[in-house]
Amino acid sequence: MMEEYPIELTINGEKIVSTAKAEESLLRFLRRHGFYEVKGGCEKGDCGTCTVIMNGKAIKSCITLAGQANGKEILTVRGLEKEESGRKLQESFVQHGAIQCGFCTAGMLMTAKAYLDENHQPNKVEIRKAISGNLCRCTGYKKIVEAIYAVAEENQKSK
Amino acid sequence: MSQFRYISPKTKEEVLKILEEEKSEACIVAGGSNVLPYIRDKIIPPKLLLDISGIEELNYIKKNGSNWRIGATTTISDLISSKIIREECNILCQAAEQFADPLVRNKATIGGNLADASPAADTAPPLLALDAGLEVESKGKKREIFLKDFFLGPRKTALQDDEMITGINFKSDSLNKPGCFIKLGLRQAMAISVVTVAMVLEIEENRVKDIRVAMGSVAPIPLRLFNAEEFLKNKHLNDDLIEEAKNKVYEEVNPISDIRASAEYRCYISGILFKRALEKLTNQTS
Ligand SMILES: Cc1cc2nc3c(=O)[nH]c(=O)nc-3n(C[C@H](O)[C@H](O)[C@H](O)COP(=O)(O)OP(=O)(O)OC[C@H]3O[C@@H](n4cnc5c(N)ncnc54)[C@H](O)[C@@H]3O)c2cc1C
Ligand code: FES
Ligand code: FES
Repeated sequence: MMEEYPIELTINGEKIVSTAKAEESLLRFLRRHGFYEVKGGCEKGDCGTCTVIMNGKAIKSCITLAGQANGKEILTVRGLEKEESGRKLQESFVQHGAIQCGFCTAGMLMTAKAYLDENHQPNKVEIRKAISGNLCRCTGYKKIVEAIYAVAEENQKSK
Repeated sequence: MSQFRYISPKTKEEVLKILEEEKSEACIVAGGSNVLPYIRDKIIPPKLLLDISGIEELNYIKKNGSNWRIGATTTISDLISSKIIREECNILCQAAEQFADPLVRNKATIGGNLADASPAADTAPPLLALDAGLEVESKGKKREIFLKDFFLGPRKTALQDDEMITGINFKSDSLNKPGCFIKLGLRQAMAISVVTVAMVLEIEENRVKDIRVAMGSVAPIPLRLFNAEEFLKNKHLNDDLIEEAKNKVYEEVNPISDIRASAEYRCYISGILFKRALEKLTNQTS
């Protein structure tokens, strides 16, 4: 029962051994350790810009205690380029003009990656539902959906 | 000034022991989707954050004969991906699929949803309609609380300081009948409900043999509408009767105004949703 406690986790393949404050969110913990690519917005679970992948599942890091990531594997948008599925999504977002101000992009990409890893043949309506926890004020979502759909289609073909 | 502390026990027994020692000084954290915003907004003062998210023995969905049991830390995503929930307990699956968004669902637990005791808690109406009970434990003691007796007011429950919810149970008998969950929110996804309804309906020779209906966001607590149920039982369903039943609904609900809707609108909509649920289920049964 401590105000600060030891924590050990893997972030983008790199092992981090540190301490966390009792009430610290995973979002604050990540940023305190230099993972500034994880963005903070509302910090109450509404906007989705803080999304990371924890043991394969997309979660909002602002409503997660740092301690809940103890012993787990975290992937942030910086780690995406190390994986082919991540690179494809990044390229597709650029090609489709799915990025305007960029505020939502880091979280949107993480949600899309976790989703495509699980669901290989989504239609556009399903993609819209999958990204419903990530708010975008610029694009109107259309180009984002198209970017994700293009990757899903390409994955289908290459199988 | 006191500070937050953190602990993440690995077993239920450890949690109960800590609750016995710390009582109201402890704050259970399951998914954290309510607790973290509360900490941020300083609604929760510094306490011991008792993280139960890693306790495997509290995460299960079991069906034994006609008895169902769901562990407290089962997430909303776990409910959606469970084959038996989808096939045999569809009313809960419908509520889970309309709950928040996929990212919140990966963390939000069924126990946390009920313990938080929001009038808008989306798992409450279906579980009320299923006559669910809560398995509640403290050190060396177990008891069961019917869900209908559990909610005492907004964010107030029948839980004692040293108690936790360990599981939820209900029986299959209400599941063999058609059931539905309808949620009206301000947008299609990620919306806290304006009004919700969960209904189980059995019609025999055009008479209402059994009906159980519960609503969310229409009163200080998730509400089972016993008077409307009694009114409809053994009667022939027709348009006039449904209009009369809507009046029973208006008598039972007692909503508030907030940023999402006014009390008047909620009251009006509760009758409409009640009717929609009845029509949906009678179309399925006939
Ligand atoms: C963006 C967003 C959207 C949301 N949308 C919805 C929605 O559509 N529908 C809905 O119903 N809710 C919604 N919520 C609210 C929240 O996600 C749910 O209430 C969720 O089920 C809470 O579960 P949790 O495990 O995260 O609870 P926590 O935040 O961990 O805990 C909630 C409360 O319950 C207590 N508690 C937790 N587990 C136990 C236990 N086993 N025994 C005793 N006490 C316990 C905690 O101490 C705390 O007081 C939303 C939240 C966010 C942030
Ligand atoms: S910062 Fe986490 S959801 Fe907005
Ligand atoms: S690109 Fe600006 S919020 Fe999405």
